[in-house]
Amino acid sequence: MSHRIGVDIGGTFTDFALVDDASGEVSIHKRLTTPRDPAIAVLDGIAQLLAERAVPIGAVDSVIHGSTLVTNAVIERRGARTGMLVTEGFGDVLDIARESRFDLYDQRIRLPEPMVPRALRREVAERMRDDGMVLAAPAEAAVQRAVDELVAQGIESLAICFLHSFVNPANENAVRDIARRGHPGLHISVSSEVFPFIREYERWTTTAMNAFAQPMVDRYLGNIERGLAAMGFGGAFYVVSSSGGMVTPGTARRFPVRMLESGPAAGVLMSTHHGQRLGLTDILSFDMGGTTAKGSIVMGGVPRKVYELEVARMHEFLPGSGLPAKVPVLDMIEIGAGGGSIAGIDARGLIRVGPRSAGAEPGPACYGRGGMLPTLTDANVALGYFDPRFFLGGSMALDEAAAAAAIDRGVAAPLSLQTIRAAWGIHEIINEDVARAFRVHASEIGFDYRRCSMVAFGGSGPAHALRIARKLKIPRVILPVGAGVMSAFGMLVSPLAFQAARTRPVLVSELDAAGFAAEFHAVEEQARSFLRAAGIADAAMRIVRHLDMRYRGQGYEIEVELPAGVGLPALFAELPRIFADRYAAIFSLSYLEHPVELVNWKVEALGPQPMAAHELRLIGPGGGATAEKGTRRAWFPDPDGFVDCPVHDRYALAAGARIEGPALVEEREATLVLGRGDRATVDAHGNLVVEIGGGA
Amino acid sequence: MSHGGYDAVSLAILWDRLVSISNEIEQTLVRTSFSTIVRENYDLACVLFDGKARCLTQGTYSQPSFIGTSQQTIRHMLAKFPPETLAPGDVLLTNDIWQGTGHMFDVNLLRPAFRKGRVVGYAMSVSHLPDIGGRGFSAYNTNMYEEGLRIPICRLVRGGQLNDELIDLIRANVRVDEQVIGDIMANVAATEVGCKRLLEFLDEYGIDDLDPLADAILDQSSRAMRGRIAAAPDGDWRNEMLVEGPEQPVNLVCNVRIRGDTLVVDYAGTDPTVPAAINVPLCYTTALTAYSVKTILLPHVPNNEGSVSPIEVSAPPGCALNALPPSATAGRHLIGHFLAPLIFGALAKALPDQVPAAPAFTNILNLSGRHRGGTPFATLYFTAGGLGGMKGLDGLSTTPSPSNMKVLSTEVVESLTNLTVIDRRLIPDSGGAGEYRGGLGAHYRLRNDTGHDAAVIGLGRRNRFPALGLLGGEPGGKRSYILNGSAVDVRARYVLAPGDVIEVRDAGGGGYGDPQARDRARVAEDVRQGFVSREAAVARYGLDPAALPEG
Repeated sequence: MSHRIGVDIGGTFTDFALVDDASGEVSIHKRLTTPRDPAIAVLDGIAQLLAERAVPIGAVDSVIHGSTLVTNAVIERRGARTGMLVTEGFGDVLDIARESRFDLYDQRIRLPEPMVPRALRREVAERMRDDGMVLAAPAEAAVQRAVDELVAQGIESLAICFLHSFVNPANENAVRDIARRGHPGLHISVSSEVFPFIREYERWTTTAMNAFAQPMVDRYLGNIERGLAAMGFGGAFYVVSSSGGMVTPGTARRFPVRMLESGPAAGVLMSTHHGQRLGLTDILSFDMGGTTAKGSIVMGGVPRKVYELEVARMHEFLPGSGLPAKVPVLDMIEIGAGGGSIAGIDARGLIRVGPRSAGAEPGPACYGRGGMLPTLTDANVALGYFDPRFFLGGSMALDEAAAAAAIDRGVAAPLSLQTIRAAWGIHEIINEDVARAFRVHASEIGFDYRRCSMVAFGGSGPAHALRIARKLKIPRVILPVGAGVMSAFGMLVSPLAFQAARTRPVLVSELDAAGFAAEFHAVEEQARSFLRAAGIADAAMRIVRHLDMRYRGQGYEIEVELPAGVGLPALFAELPRIFADRYAAIFSLSYLEHPVELVNWKVEALGPQPMAAHELRLIGPGGGATAEKGTRRAWFPDPDGFVDCPVHDRYALAAGARIEGPALVEEREATLVLGRGDRATVDAHGNLVVEIGGGA
Repeated sequence: MSHGGYDAVSLAILWDRLVSISNEIEQTLVRTSFSTIVRENYDLACVLFDGKARCLTQGTYSQPSFIGTSQQTIRHMLAKFPPETLAPGDVLLTNDIWQGTGHMFDVNLLRPAFRKGRVVGYAMSVSHLPDIGGRGFSAYNTNMYEEGLRIPICRLVRGGQLNDELIDLIRANVRVDEQVIGDIMANVAATEVGCKRLLEFLDEYGIDDLDPLADAILDQSSRAMRGRIAAAPDGDWRNEMLVEGPEQPVNLVCNVRIRGDTLVVDYAGTDPTVPAAINVPLCYTTALTAYSVKTILLPHVPNNEGSVSPIEVSAPPGCALNALPPSATAGRHLIGHFLAPLIFGALAKALPDQVPAAPAFTNILNLSGRHRGGTPFATLYFTAGGLGGMKGLDGLSTTPSPSNMKVLSTEVVESLTNLTVIDRRLIPDSGGAGEYRGGLGAHYRLRNDTGHDAAVIGLGRRNRFPALGLLGGEPGGKRSYILNGSAVDVRARYVLAPGDVIEVRDAGGGGYGDPQARDRARVAEDVRQGFVSREAAVARYGLDPAALPEG
């Protein structure tokens, strides 16, 4: 009898999902995160969940873990004291930064502090030419001296960042070896290894972030490993990366920056699997919590992977106001929209919601913890969507009058609107913001979302998902079971995987089929080596190849997935056509005669799929005797007004049950709002599948 | 509260959608372009207009100068090709100095959006071409005929059919034709995506006529701007400023007259045009004026015709800020950018808490030559000086203003040109001292390691006149060029022989407020970080030497 456990450490809660691989039964658990030593909550939660289900630790094959700890550590600057060795003459790259204003008109823009303060950076006399020729090799004595100085200044971790190292890592590697000899205990991150891409500011910042997180990740993974061993755990321990695949703890220790978004990535992965179970391959994954909303686009059953992430945005979530992290990550858009988003009047004299959030303290006005400003949650209470007596399953009472008063004060009165119209405005503006972010992103990548389905989760997701889907003309929304611990669930379906990439710009015309194949093989070997280390045989690996391509002279690439099952030499002849088709799909023009350049070569090696989502079955908390709990007055548009609508208990709904909007479906952590024309059905697995009614 | 039939909820939603469409046009232009000046430097603008040719929204990274000039360019275009003469699939083009953006390097493309047989709006895309013939991008021409190919307003695309003869004509006149034609086509694609999205938007919301929505947006914006002007004290707020000319300095004079909710900027008293390519046509003066006032008074309302319509501009014909044909104008930004600090200085007298000290501006080196392997290259190398400090905030180092050209990374420059960037570091003490310090400039040294001669054309300023401080703040450091160890002019052409080194030392931003009033802990921290030297901390900030950090 084998079991596996998924654990997701969030900023507030740590979530658990335990699956019995034989029966597919999943039990879940949620407890507060223990920020000082996150391992405590992890170990306590595992012990409790196992005890509840009477499963001995010896029956657990693997524990799979993801977290947002690295992101939070970067935002709050709770990482290691980190030093940096850089190319002589370039000690200020992190201060000079991107030299661009992310807002044209705001004279008060700010930027995040560099990852490594100036006083902890040292220049090393070395130089690499842009084509990889070594102009100057580093001198051992000088390097040793610089590292000694930094160690004397108290660094625990070191980032080695030289110009053009992505073309030839020789100098970085030599310096790493010198530093390691002198200080064997020092954590070291090397830019050509962390991410071998052009543009020094982005690569160096990513590497510095990696170094910054290394000691912390090393410590807490060690604590979990030791704690699990002490419990008698003899199985495998894995960590989920931002691109949704599992890696070994060894890999996570080398590249902690690859864990930045591992929790949310697992949520996207779970959305993908829910889609697959229903035969849906094109999905918008939508997750909305207290502070932010995250969206992701899944095409052809595979979540999109990108190499661009921005952490710690300083200025209202504006792109450009944070720090770039160039790591493989599931493509996610982040919107400053959540239950705590504050509503007010902007400089235009119009209603505006977010991105400022009231957070948990003081929180929305209806929490009664001193929050005076109206938030999205207040609007949802005023509209009748949230039951003030059944928030978080009734464990927290909400103050309806305080919500209405805050909306009046902050929005309705200054704009001469009725309270309810203002509440609807707050609700609807968030829907628009999310829909807009999806639209912009879809058009950037040339994706027609109108045929696809949405999978919605998170505490605020179900209250908004259907209305957003309606705006996007998306016909179907799935509200999966276990949405409150979606990421922990996702970890159970994550395969072992590693993604390797290198930049090597070359014209198709300057390459032949053999050279093309050889170039890919080198990257593939690197990706495979990480899986081999985890005990996966080559024959059991699946290989996925992507190429970033552009027309000669362009600076932006289009990512193209190479079809599987076709030999590389045969593909080579097809490259210009494959590229032209993709280009035209996005930009409505292409140039067949123009030379095509290959830029980034990416290979992902994937291990076997642990199990499919359709085999998972949640052991629910159990609902009331009847599904319909009663009715509540809630406000709906078209025609505008209050309706006495039925309220259903999600846990008591039987498979096959059908609900017509307007209606509300409540579960512990969230409420689904069904509008006029929306029809929900409970499927055999307990998921709610909603068809969005006709008309806009 | 009603806004022409749209309440505060609907108007906010529809308005934001239009902004995001403009961003989409901008992304299309950037991602399909062939030159670094578009994709790396963002020397571009993408603007949406309503059926009455009123500017509604523009992309977030669009250049403020182009945003302003586009509103005038569209009027010239429609005067020549009235809407009733246009057909679906038409695209108009011009690079005319006086009807475009103030110099020939920028190409302006306009496409009408047709719905039910009627023009309901327009998408315009503007970008700086990598070349336009003539003697190249420089400041030393003395009349416009030396500057390149001037293309009057014409149809580049007619009913979806590209005018190949015009393309051939342009191709025959420029140096890097693949990039130039590629960029023009990128602008074509951008306007196409723009019109497509605009029509989808109208369909989605069932809007037949964009004009009432435009009325509401423009009215709301104009009221917001009038409100801010009315809140500023009435008066005649004057400022004048010397800027670098070809030989003698040029004096710029402005008077910002605020009366109730009206604001007039008058440049009477400014020196006449000069025999160098730094003169500013009125279209550019108007654009930069609107930007400079808006960024201080109303930064958070998306820009459009309404938000700038309450700002009036006048400049005597023939002065350096209202240059007339055939003046040379390629480097009109060299004077034009000074309008920002000129106006900031005037407004500081009325609104001292809202205005930053002067910025140090961007430096441009126009680089051309051959790679190690012999293939030719031509690229612009932008580097940003520091921003001025303002109340409560130090100026950012190495950040562009008022234009927002992005900068090439060292690895990209070296790959593009095979020149070597020997080093690039911040210059300590280059930020003007103040209670809120100016941002620092950086220096860099560029060595010709290509094995061939390489040409460098400098388009620098602030070599004589530094970024001034405000309210007791000190000026920032000045800009200088050093060729093989000797100081040289910042606006000339040099040939770098193999092994030659040119150094550019960028300027710093002005300080705000009395340096003696700066928080002592921040002075000490600046010393610790190396932004301020120990000597300057004592001499300029009056830090007690005992309070200096160790080291």
